[in-house]
Amino acid sequence: MRPELKEYKFDTMLWSTFVAASKLKNGSEKEYRSMLPYIPYFNNTVDALLKLGEPGRLFIECIAKYFENYITARERGFHNAVTTFCFSPAILYAMDVFPICLEVISVAQTFAYKRGTAEFLDYCNEAGYTETSCSSQRGTLGAFLAGLGADIDMILTNTPGVCDTNANAFAFAAAYLNKPFFSLDIPPVLVDPRTDEFQDSDFRALISFLEKQTGRKLDQDRLRIVLDEVAKQEEIVAELEDLARIVPNPLPVAYNLMVYASRFLFSGMKECTAVLESMRRIGTDNADNGLSGLSGGVEKLRTFFCYIDHYTNSLKLWDFLDRNGICYQGNILSRSWADTAPHVKEYHTEAASYSFDDTDLDSMIRTMAGHNARMPMIKSIRGPYDAPDMWLQDTLSLAKMYNADCIIYNGTPGCRNTWGMVKLLARDTEKAGIPTFIMYGDAFDDRVESWEASQDRLEEFFRVRRLMP
Amino acid sequence: MNKAFMEAALTLNNSYVREWKGAGNKIVGYTCSYVPDELFSAAGILPYRIRGFGATEATIGDTYFGPFICSLPKAMLQLAGEGKFDFLDGAIITPGCDSMRRLDECWRKAGEDIAGIMPKFFFHFGVPHKYTDYSVKWFIDEILRLKSAIEEHFGTTITEEKIRESIRLFNKSRDLLEEFDRLRITDAPAITGTEAMAVILAGTTMPRAPYVELLEKLLNGIKKSGTRISGMTRLMLVGSASDDVNLVKLIEGNRAIVVGDNLCFGSRFHVDRVDEDGEPIESLARRYLAKNECPRMYGEYAGRLKMLMDKADKAKVDGVILQNIRFCDLHGSENGLFERDLERAGIPCLKIEREYGPLVETGRLKMRVDAFLERIGQRRQTA
Repeated sequence: MRPELKEYKFDTMLWSTFVAASKLKNGSEKEYRSMLPYIPYFNNTVDALLKLGEPGRLFIECIAKYFENYITARERGFHNAVTTFCFSPAILYAMDVFPICLEVISVAQTFAYKRGTAEFLDYCNEAGYTETSCSSQRGTLGAFLAGLGADIDMILTNTPGVCDTNANAFAFAAAYLNKPFFSLDIPPVLVDPRTDEFQDSDFRALISFLEKQTGRKLDQDRLRIVLDEVAKQEEIVAELEDLARIVPNPLPVAYNLMVYASRFLFSGMKECTAVLESMRRIGTDNADNGLSGLSGGVEKLRTFFCYIDHYTNSLKLWDFLDRNGICYQGNILSRSWADTAPHVKEYHTEAASYSFDDTDLDSMIRTMAGHNARMPMIKSIRGPYDAPDMWLQDTLSLAKMYNADCIIYNGTPGCRNTWGMVKLLARDTEKAGIPTFIMYGDAFDDRVESWEASQDRLEEFFRVRRLMP
Repeated sequence: MNKAFMEAALTLNNSYVREWKGAGNKIVGYTCSYVPDELFSAAGILPYRIRGFGATEATIGDTYFGPFICSLPKAMLQLAGEGKFDFLDGAIITPGCDSMRRLDECWRKAGEDIAGIMPKFFFHFGVPHKYTDYSVKWFIDEILRLKSAIEEHFGTTITEEKIRESIRLFNKSRDLLEEFDRLRITDAPAITGTEAMAVILAGTTMPRAPYVELLEKLLNGIKKSGTRISGMTRLMLVGSASDDVNLVKLIEGNRAIVVGDNLCFGSRFHVDRVDEDGEPIESLARRYLAKNECPRMYGEYAGRLKMLMDKADKAKVDGVILQNIRFCDLHGSENGLFERDLERAGIPCLKIEREYGPLVETGRLKMRVDAFLERIGQRRQTA
């Protein structure tokens, strides 16, 4: 690792970076344009987000606030916890524990720095963590292993049974840093009374763990407030998903990213609601006026990403889609599985979704357990890919429902759970008549395959399958 | 050593399997040490640990699995696709790890393309990743689900008494293997690590009753034997699934002896007895789930480190070889922690990443092991 990287806490640097970015538009347009050259590797990301207007600005503010929250948690008498993107932070906020989501912070780094997380990825290997592990956690984990992040209180995950490389990252960190560790375990079948009972008990054990670590009892009223906010957010996400079905799709391509990132950061908190509400306002206006969310105004193709996006510097994936009139019809990260979601109503059984019930503590715990059990990946990658309610069913249904012309898989080489069966999935989706492309790059590490090479291959796919001229 | 052990360890369709099938009996394969063998034995079925041993290519494995996947399940699928497991009447797939659990889908899809490679009984057996009261309860239900499926498919009834009988038989073999382990760690053992590996492996591929008989004869033979191996560098082998006696042979060469291991095809297979007095299904659930030596049981590193250090201490090892198959992040990462902590405790370690298979990397592995043995030798000289 370069010595200069060790000069400052990496997350404090990111916090300052995003705070500064959120204020860039406070001056005149000329001042703004003059400032951009001073952030040569971050300017395209900032510009792309700020071009989106209020939602983009709120989103950047959201990220800045997130860093502030967890970095300063301990000095404010609160706690923080290293956690993962598919672990709903709502329960943590209800207990004044501020989450440190490794994957989202990795993305913040790849968006902000030319080098992305490369040196932290490599530092993990020096510390004994395998280079074949998923880069999404590794990119930020390396910084914490090197002692370059905020002091942390505990480590949580909910991926055993879903993703080994994810769960292993957190177990490794707990052992390496000697921190308290708790994992929610995930049974292989989603709709099953045994699963519900197990998840309920497991969630209660999580609450006991958090109470022990924080020395505070779970406050029911506080939990109810957070849950009500989660419910409100799920309603807005459902509306956004409905808007995405319209032709042309009135939502700009980057909205999907902002939907899931906001929820990963601030589920159950006003910050997330503000971003979602702002997106809904613009999306609804566009829909009322028959406008496409694409900057060119003409929708040429609709893509559905069946896994995750590509987080290279400067939002190049979204820029590529937008420039080429390719509409982004979502991925598995942005979906809500609340019973109000349009795709749940359209093709799912009620039992596969979850509903909000804040009657009493028991019902709220059931709701939280159900919510957590239906977070992205947790919901649909837990069992065999072709089992009911799992990845194939979700992918095919969502692709059809959102009128996708093709399906694109992108992940990381560390993703054992999907690389174990993505060829089978692609075979089935092709049989169903939807052209499907498997990207072999790394969503978080351009050194595996440069974005330019990935883009060439995507373009080739579109050409060969006659999806684009 | 009785040649039967080596034959059973080196031949998938070994003479015991052929004899068992010839008598009209059933065989069910499984992929992970968290599957309770006793249940099958109680049903009159031979539980058979599916292996990748003997695969010489990965054409079939690579067709269904993606590229970034452990070569062990690929080798298993390869063998299944080549018809090498045709003697199986059933297969149990567990979420031992992500690569292994996807053998479920890959085998099924390969079965759509290659006629006759699907065992008629195919079962996805869930195993929790933590040991708590509620996970034990879930696991008891899962074992009962498996029991019902076996009974229904094979038209048999697994009575409580048969399970108790089976538990007693398997415990007997565990006791014998524990004794065997004690004989392995004496100052001058009578058996090499290569032979020991074959003895333990044989137990995963043959009926338990004759295995117990063979073990008893072996132990008597060892006690009476005048052969003693001394002057060798004493090693322990740890890490990813390893079912190839030739790997141990390569490590030992003529300068070292593997006196202990912590492998799921090795001593982890027989550690801990099943409680014979309790309700039998619950006893099975508790024994199999509590056996936390595998890093798939997250958050239990401290316990595993202590167990490993105790083993290393008792076996008076000069060094520990920590190996993992490429893309086995669970063992690979835990090996990184073991290396840090064992080295701190003064135990030399060699961390190796390798491919599973017919020792395609013999030269590289041999060179690294030799260098490790030299390091240990120099350490001795300076001590």
